Amino acid sequence: MLGIDTCLAEVMSIPGALDAMLVDHTSGMAVACSSTSVVDAERSAAALTEALRATTDGLARTCPGEVVRIDDMLVTTDKGHHLFRPLETVFEGPLVIYVHLDLERSNLALARHRLRSISSQLTT
Amino acid sequence: MTRLDALLAGLARERSTGALRLGRNGTIFLADGRVTYMEYAQTPNVERLLTARGRTTEAVLRGFREDGGCERLLAEGAVTAGELQYAVLGVVLDAALFLLPISGTRPKFRPGEQHWLGGQWFFDVPGLVRECERRRARLAEIWPYADVDALPVRPVAWLPGDGVTLSRVQWEVIVGADRKSTPLELAHQLGRSGYSVLLAVRRLAAAGLLDPPEAGHAAPAVMRPEPTEADEEPRAGQLPKRARHPYARPPHDPEAPAQPVGPPTTGDPADPALLLRLKKALEELP
Repeated sequence: MLGIDTCLAEVMSIPGALDAMLVDHTSGMAVACSSTSVVDAERSAAALTEALRATTDGLARTCPGEVVRIDDMLVTTDKGHHLFRPLETVFEGPLVIYVHLDLERSNLALARHRLRSISSQLTT
Repeated sequence: MTRLDALLAGLARERSTGALRLGRNGTIFLADGRVTYMEYAQTPNVERLLTARGRTTEAVLRGFREDGGCERLLAEGAVTAGELQYAVLGVVLDAALFLLPISGTRPKFRPGEQHWLGGQWFFDVPGLVRECERRRARLAEIWPYADVDALPVRPVAWLPGDGVTLSRVQWEVIVGADRKSTPLELAHQLGRSGYSVLLAVRRLAAAGLLDPPEAGHAAPAVMRPEPTEADEEPRAGQLPKRARHPYARPPHDPEAPAQPVGPPTTGDPADPALLLRLKKALEELP
């Protein structure tokens, strides 16, 4: 069973993880942020939330008649991978795990697998 | 800075531990100068969130509160530590949004008193105030009229278009709206945070999916967030009749007539917004 802070430490232990953040999707607030991060957590959390919301909206319009449920979202840039995992909690949310992975040193399949297992430990 | 902000900042500086009671509005719990828990009478608390989703029952929670507390709640496995932390986090920030602007009640500080769900997450007071300001700005950005926050939610009967995309909370609000409940009452029924329901309601209003408020309906002032520069709009119900209704067209509609620039005109000499602006202007005179 993980707490929010220990969960962030687990995410950072994924091979190739550069930065990680837990974001409250409702408010766009950074709940927890890895210490190595140099970016403005507050602003990037709000911006990442908007990115995820825009994706959901876009998919909702692309697949009419379907309920959109995002398991994870991957954006690969020339510098690295950005992996998002919205986590259903019973209360509010979703709580989004965001991790920035090194392009060379990371293994995407492994990272997704680890994120899945971390999320299953964080919620019941 | 409002008086409550200043009081909290003082308690934080002195690294106080105890409970600050704000009459019937709510309570703020501090430990060592940091906020551990906060309750507002009109937003759902952690117990309500846990029971609203069927995680546990009120009787079971009462049992934990009296014997064993948080540790037993976690040990019995109804929630994980992460979920409880996240719930406390959400509830405290939600309560802060409504509680911090309150003035008029005399706060009473009781040293040493703690909430049984406190100690899950610690908030520093400036961070809390900053986050509340950010949330208020966000609400005003979506739809600048704060009156929808306190009026009954009344979705339009006919969609003013062919299709619309609704988020999860918007869906719940539309389904739960009985045309009598206000956003905070809906939040309590749905077991959602007040802020998420306000967000949903303001987005619905901005999309033109809510009926305009009934004429002559005076919004209760209690639930209205602190008036800021952005939403210093007078409530529609308290004004003399205006030629153009503020809800005529959503502001983001490119074909909509331009919103009036500058403060809204009013013929009412007792308009509080006008008086506030006058007072502010007079104070700013060199």
